Amino acid sequence: MSAIIEVENLSFGYTPQSTVLRDISFVVMPGTFLAIAGPNGAGKSTLLNLLCGLLSPRSGTIRIDAAPVESYSTEALAKKVAVVWQEFIPVFGFSVIDTVMMARTPYYGPMGFESEADREIVAEALEATDTAGFALRPLGSLSAGERQRVFIARALAQNTPILLLDEPTNFLDLKHQVGIYDLLKTAQLQTGKTIVAVTHDINLAAQYCDEALLLGADSDYQCGPAGDVFSTEQITRVFGVKVFTGKVGKEKFFIPLGKFAKDNGQIGASPNS
Amino acid sequence: MILKKPWTLLIIAVAFLFCVFGLYWRAVSQRTLQLARTLRTKNSPERIVSLAPNLTEILFALGLEDKIVAVTLHCNYPPAAAGKPKIGTFWQPNIEAVIAAKPTLVITLSFEQQKNLAERLRRIGYNCLTINIEKVSELFEAIDRIGTATGKQREANQLVSAIQKKLNRLASLVGTRDKVRVLWVVQREPLRVAGRDTFVNEMIELAGGENAIGPTVYKYPPIGAEQVIASGAEVIIEPSMTPEDLVAQRDKAFQYWNRFENVPAVFNKRIYVINGDIVSGLGPRLYEGVETITRCLRPELFAD
Amino acid sequence: MNGQLTAKKLAVRTASGLVVLIVVMAVCSLVGAEKVSLKAVVDSIGLREAVSPDYEIFVRVRMPRIFLAAIVGAALASSGVVCQALLRNPLADPYILGISSGAGLGAIIAVLSGLNWTFVGRSPIAVFAFAGALGTIWLVWFLGRLTGKFHVTGLLLAGVVVNTFFSALIMFLTLVAKSQQVYATIFWLMGNMIEEDFLVLWLGAGCVVAGILALFYIAPQLNALSFGENDARSMGVNTARTHIIAFGVAAFITAIAVSLSGLVGFVGLVVPHAVRLIFGPDHRQLLPMSGIIGAIFLVVADTFGRIVVAPAQLPVGVVTAIVGGPFFLVLLIKYGRKVSWLK
Repeated sequence: MSAIIEVENLSFGYTPQSTVLRDISFVVMPGTFLAIAGPNGAGKSTLLNLLCGLLSPRSGTIRIDAAPVESYSTEALAKKVAVVWQEFIPVFGFSVIDTVMMARTPYYGPMGFESEADREIVAEALEATDTAGFALRPLGSLSAGERQRVFIARALAQNTPILLLDEPTNFLDLKHQVGIYDLLKTAQLQTGKTIVAVTHDINLAAQYCDEALLLGADSDYQCGPAGDVFSTEQITRVFGVKVFTGKVGKEKFFIPLGKFAKDNGQIGASPNS
Repeated sequence: MILKKPWTLLIIAVAFLFCVFGLYWRAVSQRTLQLARTLRTKNSPERIVSLAPNLTEILFALGLEDKIVAVTLHCNYPPAAAGKPKIGTFWQPNIEAVIAAKPTLVITLSFEQQKNLAERLRRIGYNCLTINIEKVSELFEAIDRIGTATGKQREANQLVSAIQKKLNRLASLVGTRDKVRVLWVVQREPLRVAGRDTFVNEMIELAGGENAIGPTVYKYPPIGAEQVIASGAEVIIEPSMTPEDLVAQRDKAFQYWNRFENVPAVFNKRIYVINGDIVSGLGPRLYEGVETITRCLRPELFAD
Repeated sequence: MNGQLTAKKLAVRTASGLVVLIVVMAVCSLVGAEKVSLKAVVDSIGLREAVSPDYEIFVRVRMPRIFLAAIVGAALASSGVVCQALLRNPLADPYILGISSGAGLGAIIAVLSGLNWTFVGRSPIAVFAFAGALGTIWLVWFLGRLTGKFHVTGLLLAGVVVNTFFSALIMFLTLVAKSQQVYATIFWLMGNMIEEDFLVLWLGAGCVVAGILALFYIAPQLNALSFGENDARSMGVNTARTHIIAFGVAAFITAIAVSLSGLVGFVGLVVPHAVRLIFGPDHRQLLPMSGIIGAIFLVVADTFGRIVVAPAQLPVGVVTAIVGGPFFLVLLIKYGRKVSWLK
């Protein structure tokens, strides 16, 4: 089985003088759930933009399904990669189902209308994300959590082997955060989708993701199974924060310890692994 | 790559047929226009529509009264004109009303709105005469042209000679005295006068006067108090659009102008309010208009 | 509107709209300063004898005028839809990118130059206005791109700058011009529906209809673009190509409208919103329906302007503002709850 995403010696900078990413290489196998985590400004979102072809690398290659990203037309790429961006409310009041239906744009016939097949896929996506209940409501009238599920439904309806997400659980409460990750994991397990999510939440990433890419400043990165990448030393080094690592069953969790942390010596100033 | 798709050939074919059809329809349309135009003028009595008061006056003066079928709301001289059907105002003639009058000849002036209207009428097959009357010489030309167009050349020549004879007589009466400086006030608030580039200026000169205002950019410029005083006007003439009670209007004028006590016209009390109708345009009553002005400038010549 | 858009629903709505448009056009042709009897018109068709003035007025004055109003209304409304979609701004109208001042500048230059030739029966003002409009769009596009590729804010800013600069130029030239020329320019700028040569109307209609069809072809892409550049691209929309086609076509049909009738305001701003409030924001429906309703609106507005102070005429731009404003307010109150950005 060959990798579905291959990144080789990728370098990128927004201006000729600056460099955001230097010589990054990793592969993602089909059906994997990869988390990209790291401090602000390390280039996570930039990496995502590069993966979906919005930006062009300065050097190195990115291959989607064995072909370089540049070789795909926008439409062809849209059939391989779906992206869930940070929240955006359109100015004009599209309804939920309109929004999700738009994902089928690359598949429209010449007159620009949906076929029965398209409608079925959209219905499935709505079911999967539990958004069918408010399908006809305008997007702006939903809560943030509901809206995020709608955008994920749209990405699912696009029916692509790869799904990229840019900080999907920002601004969501705990219940919705877990809900989103459950949703993604289910999609991965049931349909074999490859999911790459940029996230700030290491704990949930550790819980749900198979692989992780920890991207630090100056392109100091680690890529591998989540269990290995998310370790106390790595996290402390990359984030520059003291961390306490705990375990519940097989789940690891990390709690950052700041200046005012209440460690009475019970947990200890030094982290365990 | 676009050219390969069958859609493109279809689109080009449709566009081509579209243009061809348009040209064909237009040719048909032009033919019916010509036909309608011929039918309208053949074997039918002359029906004239006039779009300006001075044009109406000329038509009446040439003896074409019964041929006139419509005039503007502003055409009120001679009195018989007021009884004719109307086709809108002088500034905004209504093309539909003109057509409804079934004219064989439409006469217009040549300023923008009327020129456009004449163009539009010509385009749909009507016979239009567009005449420029901004100078006295153009007035005589206009009378001549209208005479030719309506078969009244003899009457036109007579009219022109009559006016010219009377003007010449007036000119010899006035002689070569010093020209009187005249301020021609068309509006009081804000103060606007007739400049040198107007037909009014010509009439003033024919009456033996000269415009107290020097050359200006605009034809009827607004002026300030400074310019009034600097003009050194010896006579102030205000044409009035309401001819009733010119005496009361003159009193009001004096009240207004008293603030300019240093202007010769004011302290010599040579302020005149005249009937604006005869000086509102160049027409057959040109002589009457010039004579009225001369009466203001040289009352002594008419003491008898 | 509940339920989803299907090709069939759209076809039915478009067809009904066209029928309504034709009926409105016919009725308005019979209304005007002069009484025109339908019987006299019909009797005169195909006649070899003298035609009645009713027929002349109906066919030579009213019909071309109404046809013109329909073309201009459809062009402006469709163009307005596209501008609002591309700029993602509900306050956008076809003139926002400088077309109005560009056309006005072209017009006043034509008037000042005193040229007298005609081009396919069009006066120099119309031709210069058309050139001015297209030239300005190109300039704004060029300036906007200096801020980064297809950056919407850049375009808006460039449009505002160009509009301001050209308006100042127009004011300056107006001062220098003679009074008659000034009148001609202002009259033209106020928007006017004057009957045109048949060929001009025919070609104009062809261009506008072709333009609207082209925009319909990219309507799904416009839908996607409403969510932003990134979203649209990840949904497979070639944003660069869509921008070029949309702006190019919208500018073209607006320039044609402006060269045919001067600057008619309000249609491009209000009609898209009104149609959106009733039919929803899907551009596949919004475009054709806005075109049709824009045509109906302008035909009715022009008729209104013709009869309300007959025999004088209100400039159509005045009527669109007076009629459009309150009407839009009513729509907003009635349907506003459905629009998310009004929460």
